[in-house]
Amino acid sequence: MPHAPAPVAVVADDERLMREQIVTQLQQAWPELVIAGEASNGREAVALAHSLDADIVFLDIRMPEMDGIQAAQALAGSVHVVFVTAYDEYAIKAFEQGAVDYLLKPAEPERVAITCERLRARLSRKPDSMDELLARLSQRLGAGGSKPRDYLRWVQASAGANLRMIPTSDILFFRAEDKYTRVQTPRFEALIRKPIKELVEQLDPQEFWQIHRATVVRVDAVEQVSRNFRGNQVVHVKGSDEKLEVSRSFSHLFKQM
Amino acid sequence: MTPDARPASRDGRSENPPAAPPSDARDALRQLRRGIVVAWWGFFDWLAVVSWKKLVLVSILAMILAGIAKHPLPVLILVLGSVIVKVVAGGKRRAELKATEANQRAQTEQLERTVLEARMQALQAQIEPHFLFNTLASVDQLIQTDPPRASRMQRSLIRYLRSALPDLRQGRRATLGQQVDHCIAFLDIMAIRMEGRLQSDVRVPEGLKSAIFPSMMLPTLVENAIKHGLEPKAEGGRIEIGAEIADGQLAVHVTDNGMGFMPKSDAGVGLANIRERLEALYADRAELVIDVPAAGGTRATIRIPYEVAPA
Repeated sequence: MPHAPAPVAVVADDERLMREQIVTQLQQAWPELVIAGEASNGREAVALAHSLDADIVFLDIRMPEMDGIQAAQALAGSVHVVFVTAYDEYAIKAFEQGAVDYLLKPAEPERVAITCERLRARLSRKPDSMDELLARLSQRLGAGGSKPRDYLRWVQASAGANLRMIPTSDILFFRAEDKYTRVQTPRFEALIRKPIKELVEQLDPQEFWQIHRATVVRVDAVEQVSRNFRGNQVVHVKGSDEKLEVSRSFSHLFKQM
Repeated sequence: MTPDARPASRDGRSENPPAAPPSDARDALRQLRRGIVVAWWGFFDWLAVVSWKKLVLVSILAMILAGIAKHPLPVLILVLGSVIVKVVAGGKRRAELKATEANQRAQTEQLERTVLEARMQALQAQIEPHFLFNTLASVDQLIQTDPPRASRMQRSLIRYLRSALPDLRQGRRATLGQQVDHCIAFLDIMAIRMEGRLQSDVRVPEGLKSAIFPSMMLPTLVENAIKHGLEPKAEGGRIEIGAEIADGQLAVHVTDNGMGFMPKSDAGVGLANIRERLEALYADRAELVIDVPAAGGTRATIRIPYEVAPA
């Protein structure tokens, strides 16, 4: 049998104890495996895997900078990937297609041995690209909640000396005032530098309607619409006495059904 | 946008017709008409729900009075009319009234269900499985490499779980002290796991620990700060918990110097939940304020009326 070079692995987890754990278990299950590097985030893992020309990476899923799934996407096709996670919230097992393996920590020695066995068998082949699996995993990860949405959910405004984060659901309306835009909530008002025109593009059109060149109102805050003496529509909002005029070009918004 | 979500504008109740200046006489007439309509429907509703026995009694009484006044005919017509109306339309009206009542009851029940559901969700959020399993895996590793630290971590986990459980029992109001203990246990565990990446500083005056504080709120802020602020930051950072009384209000802060807030992020359901619960518990006497400290990161402050738990 020809003497193959020892396989090289990188272990990535943001918690040192967890790296230590998987390294110890791998050394017992597969003494020939060379663990050439340890990374504490996804970016480091990718860099190390490339610079050490690793054959295998063990990736924790939740990591700072770049999570395990993004790292796997970056490494797909060049390295064999094993996910290591404490709680399988992404149901990796459901996606298992032989392209990838996963370990639940703390892993039982028997389970680690099975993973090592599979890896040995696969090392002679080119690593799979795992495209479909990773796309589905990252979709799940996105559904988990912290992924940025397309629209503003918070507005950073100065109220007095402070910079406040105001949730859009708290805002009654925005009004252009000189160089600033005033943010009105039921409790207080604050100023932001962003002009109305720019703001409108970043707000959810289902949540906010522009009713005037200088005014954007949150639809759910509208209490009623009446007409003033000139026959223009005027919006009344809950929690504020201010009356907001609707300009002709936006009056179609409040057409009677 | 669905069309029925549009506020209607030309609805007669929400708007005065701009044209045709109303004359005083026409105004008075309209007032009178409205009064009659209201009185008729009031009478109609009464007729629909009143028992036959009562109706007969009232009718006899009215006819005796009419007899004394020597004008029995109009009253007789009214009584006969009432009986006919009650027979013909009473059933339908009664059903309508019953439906309205049932509807209101259903809304109350819906609200109760929502509250229960929120409580269950809060509980689930309190002990996040990811946190629990990672901690247990760390304990397992420490048992082999550093048993004294394993023991410390496990004891912190016990304190953490113990302080989470009283929330399950109903009837007792949560205190700030109980939640501070919970957070200290949580931070002790995270400090072992994150090692040098996490520093924490808890400064809550002993005297404020008996203050009432809605359950779960402080842990939610602390776990948010770790999860969204410090854990995603490669070099980690610092978290501070503080509390003070200002203007008769209890203010509790959680400050971190982590990643800072993303304007387009949802920040989970945690903060929205806190806001909703504060609104439900204290209306406008409480608030949750998120602001950005000068050094960056995030500071979350909950202000509620200061109230001490009965001993």
